[in-house]
Parts: sequence; C-alpha cells; structure tokens
Amino acid sequence: MRLALLAGTCSLALALAAQPASSQEIKNATKFGNMATVSQDMLSRAAGDSSNFLTSNGDYAQQRYYPNRQINTTNVSKLRPAWIFQTEVKESLETSPIVVNGVMYVTTSFSHVYALNARTGEELWHYAHKMGPITTYCCGPNNRGVAVSGDKVFVATLDSKLVALDAKTGATAWSIQIADPELGYSETMAPVVAKGKVLIGTNGGEYGIRGFIKAFDVADGKLLWTFDTAPDNSVGVWATTDATGRDLHRDIAAEKAQLAKSGDPYKTLGGGVWQPPAIDLAANKIYFVVGNPSPDLDGSLRPGDNLYTDSLVSLDLDTGKYSCHFQYIAHDVWDLDAVSPPVLVNVKNAGGNMVPGILHAGKTGHVYVHDRKDCSLIRFSEAMVPQENMWVLPTKDGARMLPGANGGVEWSPMAVSPTLGLTYALNLHQPMTYHVQTSQYPSGKLWLGGAFKVIPSEEQWGNLTAVDYNTGAIRWQVKTPQPMIGGALATAGGLVFAGEGNGLFKAYDSESGSVLWSFQAGAGVNAPPSSYSIEGKQYIVVGAGGNTQLDYKRGNSIIAFTVD
Amino acid sequence: MRRLIFFIVGALASWSALAQAQPADAPDISDKAALCSACHGAAGVPTIANVPVLWGQTEGYIYLQLKDLKNNVRASPLMNGIAAGMSRDDMFAYAKYFAAKPWPNLNQPAAQSEVARVALVANSSIGCTGCHLANFQGNSSIPRLAGQKQSYLLASMEAFRSRTRANNPGMSDLMNAASPEDLTALAAYLAGL
Repeated sequence: MRLALLAGTCSLALALAAQPASSQEIKNATKFGNMATVSQDMLSRAAGDSSNFLTSNGDYAQQRYYPNRQINTTNVSKLRPAWIFQTEVKESLETSPIVVNGVMYVTTSFSHVYALNARTGEELWHYAHKMGPITTYCCGPNNRGVAVSGDKVFVATLDSKLVALDAKTGATAWSIQIADPELGYSETMAPVVAKGKVLIGTNGGEYGIRGFIKAFDVADGKLLWTFDTAPDNSVGVWATTDATGRDLHRDIAAEKAQLAKSGDPYKTLGGGVWQPPAIDLAANKIYFVVGNPSPDLDGSLRPGDNLYTDSLVSLDLDTGKYSCHFQYIAHDVWDLDAVSPPVLVNVKNAGGNMVPGILHAGKTGHVYVHDRKDCSLIRFSEAMVPQENMWVLPTKDGARMLPGANGGVEWSPMAVSPTLGLTYALNLHQPMTYHVQTSQYPSGKLWLGGAFKVIPSEEQWGNLTAVDYNTGAIRWQVKTPQPMIGGALATAGGLVFAGEGNGLFKAYDSESGSVLWSFQAGAGVNAPPSSYSIEGKQYIVVGAGGNTQLDYKRGNSIIAFTVD
Repeated sequence: MRRLIFFIVGALASWSALAQAQPADAPDISDKAALCSACHGAAGVPTIANVPVLWGQTEGYIYLQLKDLKNNVRASPLMNGIAAGMSRDDMFAYAKYFAAKPWPNLNQPAAQSEVARVALVANSSIGCTGCHLANFQGNSSIPRLAGQKQSYLLASMEAFRSRTRANNPGMSDLMNAASPEDLTALAAYLAGL
C-alpha cells in the first residue's frame, strides 16, 4: 500500500496523494527543480550543498556531514514529522535517501525504487524490479540506495543487475547483468557515480564468490574495468598479527602445506564489497573496504593472508589499477571484516601534521585512521565495545569471543564533524560463540565453514560513540538498549542523528552526546538519515522499516521531519 | 506400503514417458505436474510422511532442489530418478508452476507456548529468519518454512545435522550449532505457523 501523509493538509490532499503516479504528477513535481541535470560539478561539490543530498553518504568523502544549520541544538526539540510515505514493501529498510532539487529517491528491500516529492512525500514514480527467479544473498533482501547522475538514477539489484532509470519517469534506460546470482552474487549496496563511471561492488562472501569492484559507463552500462578483490596471488606476507598487533594464532606451517596441496584459493575466496568507495577526485583515487573470506569460519581450505579480504584498498579511478592496501585481519576466521564505508578527512599524522586521511570503523570495534597517500595505519581508536578472548580460534563446539561476528561496527556508515574532529559510530555488543566445520565449496550455496551462535543468556546492547580521530580517544559514548545498526548523520547545526531497533530516532548534541530529541517511528530505524532543504526549509529524513539481520520490527515508512 | 510403491513406480514410468514426448505432442506443464500429486498431493497437501509441501513454495528454491536432485547432490532415490531427465527449462517450469499455487492449509496445530519459546530462542541464537525472513515466509532461493509439514521439517533438519542431506553445508553447520531439542521445537513451531 502506498500512502503519502502530507503534514498539515486536508483529507482531499491525502486522497489525491494516494492516487497512482501519472505523467501529470511527474510534470508538476519538476517545479521544485530540474531533475535532468545532476552534473559532475554538483557531485564534486556535494559536501557544501545545503539543499541536496547527492550520494548515499552525502558526498565523495562520505563524511555524512550536512552543512545546513537551520535545524540545530536550539530548535531540534521542535522537530516534527512533515510527512510519512509508506512503501509497498514491509521488510528490512536500509536506504539512504538521495535528494536532487526537491525530488527524493529511496529504495526498499527487493530492489524497489521510489521517486517522491521531497516537500510533500507524494509519490512521483515507483520502479518495482522484476526479480529473476534466483537470488542468493546474506543478511536480508536489503538495498542501501541509488546513485544519481545526469538524467539517470542507478540501482543495483538482488539478482545482481545494474539498472539505469530515467530520473523523470522511472523507465528503464538500460540494464546489465553484473554477475551470476546462482553462484552467490547479489547487490545490496548503493552505487556511486564519478567521472562518467558507475562504481559497484558485490555481495557473496558467504557463498564462495570471487569478489570485485567494477566500473560501468553511465551512458550505456558498458564495462570499463574490473578489480578482483581476490587477486590471482592472494597469499600475502603470512601476517601473524592484526592491525593492532595482537596475535592471530595462525598455524602458518599448516597453511603452507595446504597451499602446496591445493594452490591459491582465490577463485572462491569471497571478498565482497558492501558499501560504496570514497573518492578523492584530486588524487583520482577511490578507497573502499573488502569483506570476509569464504568460507567465513574455516581457514583450513584457504591458506595465506587471503588478500584483499578484510582490507582497505585504493585504486586509480580511471583504470581500476591497484594503488595501495592495508589488511586489518589476515586469514580472518571470525567474519570480523571491513564493511562500514571509509571516510576521507584530514587527520593528524604521527608527527602531528595534518595530512589527507581515511577513517574506517571496524567490526572489531576500533576506528582505524590511515594516511591517504599509501593506506598506512596512523592510529586506531580505543575499543568502542568489549573485546574478550581475541583472537581465540573457532572450535567445533564453539569458542566465545567478543565482539560477536556482527561487530563492533557493522555496515553502518559513520558521520563526521570535521569542525570538532569527531567521528560518530554505531556499535553492537552481541556475544557469540564461533563454531568451525569443514565442507567443500558448495557452488553458490551458503558456505560459512561453521556457525556464529548468539549466546541467548548474555545481555546485548549498543552504543553511539564519538571518537576523536586525531588522538583515537573516545570523546563520549551513549549506551542503547539494543545493538545498533543503520548509520549516522551529523549536521552543521551541532547535531548527530541515529536510530535504534526499538523504533526510536534520536538527535544528539554532537559535542556532548546529550539526547536532545527523540521520535518513536513504530518500526526499527535502521537506515542512515539524510538531510535536504526546499524553499528555505531544512528537513531530516530517515527510513523506518526494521532489520532482517538483527530481526528488528519491520515497517515500511520513509519519514521526513522539519521544525515548525 | 506395497500399494504406494506401485503407485510411485507407475507415476515415475508415466513421467518418463511424458518427459520423452516429442515437442509436437508435448504435454502442458500442468499435465506433467499432475503426476507429482501422487506424493505431493492433488490439492497441495502431501499424501506421504516426510514429503514436503510444494504448492506455494518459493520458485528459486524448487529449481535449486530439482537441480541438486538431478545431479545427485541431494540424495533421494525416487526424486533423483525423476529429476534425471529434466532440462534446466523443465526445472524452471516446474518451479514456476508450483510457486504460483496457493500454500495449502495442513491444519497443523500451533505450538504450545513452551515449545514456541524454545523455538524462538533457537531462532535468535542461530538466526533462521536472517535468511528465511520475517514469519519464515522465505523468498526466491530460500524456502518458506511456515506451515510446512512437521514430519518433513524435522526430518530435513536432522538430515542436515547428520549431513545425510548434503546439498547445503551452511545449513548443516547451523543445524549442528543447534541441539536436537531445538530442532524438535522448531519443527513443531514452524508447522503451526
């Protein structure tokens, strides 16, 4: 059921809004702007755009820092729903709303796309993807949003297609198959467009895929380049410690013997890419993180460091050629991989000088701070969640280790306040035992190499943590009653917004962590918020549809708020 | 039992004949699928213990099971023989046909509260709904479990646990992370949904 609730309007308006989209309605919507001109210049300057929200993480640096301060610490207590739009899909909702000149694009589970009038919530068009009969995906039928460029909207689908839609009508301009879903490939991430290229990774690290990130031509979907996240030589340097120097308890001799017997495991090594890359246009480089090796818990069949799983990787934007990488966990057997999108920000290096840096929030519970020039690690933060028994190896009967396999920080994007030098991360505390079992590659079926088992008797919780990325110290931390997943938004108004599985959507003081406002959305708020402005009025928007992975209450709402 | 065997052998022979029919007189998929009703039920209610509901099952899952049965990745002497002659198009046609049918009501009782509690704790621990989705409805390649036949559910979970059903090692790993008591409770709970 579709329903746009127009704040402060009459039932007639409600009735009109509930009508199916028509060309007339679409034409009317353009009075708020021209949907046909998302230029490279607009995308390049998105960080300073106080009207639009042009990429899934706000701008190419992925700071999720919105520069408008109309909604701020002094008036956020008056934040009210402006409208609520109900999608047809009541299932896990992880979309980052994109706003272009008064038109909002949101996605839902099962790869639906909606164009909405961002002022009223009125539906302009709805793209219901005709899903192929085979989909193979982990952690819910999610979709995290679209990319926009020129007159097109780009969405990647559960059946591993990349679809370009006409921004005005939702009609399909072109569609290409990215990879074979029967072999475990799927798409849940939002693409990102830069310099005429649509960049997209893949899911499938739980199914023995060979991961990649690809660039397609925005004009016609032609493949421009592919970077395999599991290179032909995935062995690496036989690292024995993690990024923080802790012993990984690897049996290197046994791995070398296995390597001699079975060869390099790269063809089924996993290495999904769950979130879009950050892009440094000046350096012409992209920075992204690579997920876990396959099978998740059983390292016996995949000797070596399993490059570039669990790594930060940088490539040349034009060619897709390797630039640098940093691996957090070599030969991971815990699925404590790298999934939260990297953030580009200037940071203090070890010598105290400001340099172009990269932040990544790990499932380990650390924020890692890197030097952008060579991916090297400058520092890592204090642990944001309890860490116990690291890195005990999984056993048949289960070994307890914290964090559990959902993190730390899951796919949730951080937000940054560059003025405060703080980054805000959503964390989970979900104790688990890690179980290992050996089985051969099952040709696209679930291939965990064991099981992660939540310990039912142990308390679970979450937190929102502000980390000073120039020192690694935790500035403030607010505990939540449930593990957090979804993402954060920071604004120039001194606010941080984040939601919870219990339906609460909250505004925090970005400097102190004080809760300044909250709203009960009726379903889990487990999606990253966005912000935009129309006709001089700033809005905050977020999806409330719950989450499959953590089994939070499902819903189907996109809720826009403003101060009356 | 003897009568049942005669029936199945007869159905298998009939299916083979239909499968080998020339395109000119190729039977409609519904004619072919009618033979499946010998075990899976004319109205979608299975007639034999440990035989699953196919009506309303997810399309991708039916296709993948037929593929695994054809390739002997999933062991079932009867179904391995039936699937042996199927083409990829055949398998998709059957999958589409059965997925479009309404899910039948087997009139299985809702689980008692303590059984449901054990089942829900098991779900929260190993995360069944992470793949089978809310209310265990399944989607695409993941099967619906809600309202499936209890004896089949339990037999399947136990077969995964013992790895005698070997066509999804991930499921085997998860079933081994659960206790036999969990599986019994899950079968009763899911059947009653």
